[in-house]
Amino acid sequence: MPKVTSKKCITGINWAASILTSVFFLLLICTSVSAQVPADYFKQNCASCHTIGGGRLTGPDLKNVSERQSRDWLVNWTLDPEGILKSGDPYAVKLQKEARGAVMTRSPGMTRVLSAALLDLIDAESKLEKSQFAGTQISDRPLLAEDIEEGRMLFMGATRLKNNGPSCIGCHTVNSMKGLGGGRLGLNLTRAYARLEGRKGLSAWLVSPPSLMMNPIFKKYPIDEEEVLPLVAFLKNETEIDEPENKTAMINFLLYGMGGAVVLLVIFDLLWNKRFRGVRQPMVKESYHS
Amino acid sequence: MAENITSFDYLNLFLFTILPYVALFTFFLVTIQRYRGRGFTYSSLSSQFLENKMHFWAMVPFHYGILVVLFGHLIGFLLPAQVLAWNSEPMRLYLLEITGFIGGIFTLVGLINIMVRRLSDARTKMVTSTADWVVIGILIFQICTGLYTAIFHSWGSSWFAASMSPYLWSIVKLSPEIAYVTPLPFFIKLHIIGAFAMIILFPFTRLVHALVVPNPYLWRKPQVVRWHWDRKKIRTTEFKIER
Repeated sequence: MPKVTSKKCITGINWAASILTSVFFLLLICTSVSAQVPADYFKQNCASCHTIGGGRLTGPDLKNVSERQSRDWLVNWTLDPEGILKSGDPYAVKLQKEARGAVMTRSPGMTRVLSAALLDLIDAESKLEKSQFAGTQISDRPLLAEDIEEGRMLFMGATRLKNNGPSCIGCHTVNSMKGLGGGRLGLNLTRAYARLEGRKGLSAWLVSPPSLMMNPIFKKYPIDEEEVLPLVAFLKNETEIDEPENKTAMINFLLYGMGGAVVLLVIFDLLWNKRFRGVRQPMVKESYHS
Repeated sequence: MAENITSFDYLNLFLFTILPYVALFTFFLVTIQRYRGRGFTYSSLSSQFLENKMHFWAMVPFHYGILVVLFGHLIGFLLPAQVLAWNSEPMRLYLLEITGFIGGIFTLVGLINIMVRRLSDARTKMVTSTADWVVIGILIFQICTGLYTAIFHSWGSSWFAASMSPYLWSIVKLSPEIAYVTPLPFFIKLHIIGAFAMIILFPFTRLVHALVVPNPYLWRKPQVVRWHWDRKKIRTTEFKIER
């Protein structure tokens, strides 16, 4: 029938239109990838493990790094740290030993050009008396009970982070948390203070989290420097008290869910237990009488 | 582009930037075209009159469950800051998560009953098309990956607001930021891809009935349909021409 043919034709046109539009958007996306500013890139991707003139964090202090290795080696290293380590390069092995076994991660979107630009930036910053990447200057004062409590409130979300970032509990838990615990998307942070080797390392991590999951979020809503110390205090306390893991949290969640579902199903059955007799049959009967 | 780009990067680019647009455009174009061209096919083709007892335990839990789950995702997408504010008290967070989880269990119970009903009852089996089985299959897939996520990658209501909502908005604003989703665990990614697949399937299947929900059924008085003639007379073998 001609009508059907025309409809098939319309569907065909729609398909073609949807494919073409999708290709158009793909092109739009590819062309809108903009060049990274090296300083921003360093802050977002490097500063959580490296300083320039501020001493070692997880990775080495990068001040005057160009004097320690050739430019070519450094560029290749940033492009594929794991590959170079696997090749058995002695300098790479030495770096890994100094970092207590930690391996530098492959930086997102790294290119030869970007790597060279970053090295230029590091060279320029090395010449300054105090680089902007000398690291976060977190107070050395002793951590108080109030700091721990303030940190706990920030972790749980009872105090919102100043820049509106999401609170830690959404993805992380610590062993001292009772009830159903914290989130299980990210790591259990009970030993984070120990893992990141203390106040300095943990602070640098919190100021610009290098985790691929956290980076895009906290790039937009960074944790304020004033919030770093209480969070460090809270996590230090967690490492120190080192409570055993709350293994029942997940099972309890499962049981609450299943129990709730069963109760609701019973309620549904009670509410509608006359469902086949309550409405239809009386109405039919009534309609015969009227 | 980066020199150390891997085939995984291309896969992520396809799944989280191209696929959502293919899904959305297919959804809008075919949904409108089907409504304009074949509006009377906008139906779930109810099989309630073929079998009604098992139908209750299939249809009722499924729809209540899916409504809770869908609205949960929608609120996380539209009001992320409010969801995070609500979750700032652990008890409220747990309440929200358990509610969503119960919604998920309801959907699963409903779906299992739907499958059993459509396989065991001969009449409903007869009217079940391949497209219906595809819809049931993808729904089962979505609900299983969703429940897995709720249990093993909690708390979704919080991280959805923090990560998924900005990703989805970046799709709406035509500048996809896949950095929010590429580091997510495998099962969550499967769940997201399944969601795009469902959006693609939507206009081609019975799912379109969600757009033409007869809302007045909720408040209008019950109506009853009954035969208005003597059925015994109709069923008689005697053939008579009435003059």
